[in-house]
Amino acid sequence: MDKLIVGVSGLNAADNPGPGIGVARSLREDAELHVEIVGLAYDAMEPGIYLDWVVDKSYVMPYPLGGGEAYIARLLHIKQTHGLDYVIPNLDAELPLFIQYAKALNDNGIRTFLPSMEQFRVRGKDKLDEVARKAGLRLPRTKVITSPETIAAAVEEIGLPVMVKGIFYKAYRAATMGEVFQRHGELVAEWGYPVILQEVVAGDELNVVGLGDGEGGTLGLVGIKKIMVTALGKIWTGVTIKHDRMLAAAQAFIAEYKWRGPFELECMAKGDDVYLIEINPRFPAWSYFATGVGINLPSRMLRRSLGMPVPAALDYPAGKLFVRYSFELVTDMDLFQKAVTRGEAP
Amino acid sequence: MSRLSALAVNDEGFVFDPTTGDSFLANRCGLLILRVLGEGKDDKDAVRALTDEYDVTSEEAERDVADFREQLKAVGIA
Repeated sequence: MDKLIVGVSGLNAADNPGPGIGVARSLREDAELHVEIVGLAYDAMEPGIYLDWVVDKSYVMPYPLGGGEAYIARLLHIKQTHGLDYVIPNLDAELPLFIQYAKALNDNGIRTFLPSMEQFRVRGKDKLDEVARKAGLRLPRTKVITSPETIAAAVEEIGLPVMVKGIFYKAYRAATMGEVFQRHGELVAEWGYPVILQEVVAGDELNVVGLGDGEGGTLGLVGIKKIMVTALGKIWTGVTIKHDRMLAAAQAFIAEYKWRGPFELECMAKGDDVYLIEINPRFPAWSYFATGVGINLPSRMLRRSLGMPVPAALDYPAGKLFVRYSFELVTDMDLFQKAVTRGEAP
Repeated sequence: MSRLSALAVNDEGFVFDPTTGDSFLANRCGLLILRVLGEGKDDKDAVRALTDEYDVTSEEAERDVADFREQLKAVGIA
């Protein structure tokens, strides 16, 4: 087939890795797709810009803020001047914009494979009780905070310690009321309301990455347990598992909501109970782990949306180890200079 | 498939639970008990396997199997 130019965001690969590099690597491993990877970065220092064996060309993008017109205009500029056939947005804050403009992008020849706005909202951190119930999972006691006046009563009900979470990013464990207020203030300043207060559930952190076909069907699922995490809570080592209840919950989520696109379930297993902590509506940063055990979800997503055959195999081996490592690259300042002055490199 | 029979066990005593991702080390006696129980046999079979393999009385083997069962329960396997 002709070369497919795919835009991929989330190119950070430092202490808080984004999903983009894993998604790009996965696409490259499907030789039949003939992909060229265009990196969509927000900072000239995002490592993905410099990994020329993963990302062919990068553009610095405006933040997807406000109405998003500047972001969409930039995508159309890339389409016109370089070429862009498909975009995989990998950051939570981008998704509402991409979903809103999916039709307009498609009309301009830029395809996506995304949930609807209704689906996107249903898995919001502030609406998980219904999803948990339908997926057969428990939900930690959760309170949605939309003003500071309601914090004290919410903490009284849940008890301390409590998780204080932003609507898009960041979660802090707060052991005192003072800490709850402090973290609440920080999150509101950065992301606005609502802020989520959630019971702390101790247990094993289990995650699933999955891909729904938009019609209730599953295009692939892989479950993992995080063995070692960094100070920021990011996976460093992990192992594939087959936790029946968690995998069944992921399939139930896809079937019930006819989920379209990638997602991650974050769960906590405590004895026989499995708690749903969060649903991320995009590939997680560890999604290459699934590719590594034979379930290449980014490739399957492109194949599905392009009408190409999708591998039917859904099974994968349990007991495979994921090991993240630090790696150094020495390269020219030229790429950084171009990214800063021209907003694209090379 | 039961959790016991799903365990991945190697000759060096490394035991992996594919449901939870937990891993353990078992000694030779533990390995023997796991292999017997993993075949769907019961505690009496495990006792017999221990007495066939080692110079122990049935009473000692019964206590060991019971103790091992408790350890498996503590980690949520049996």
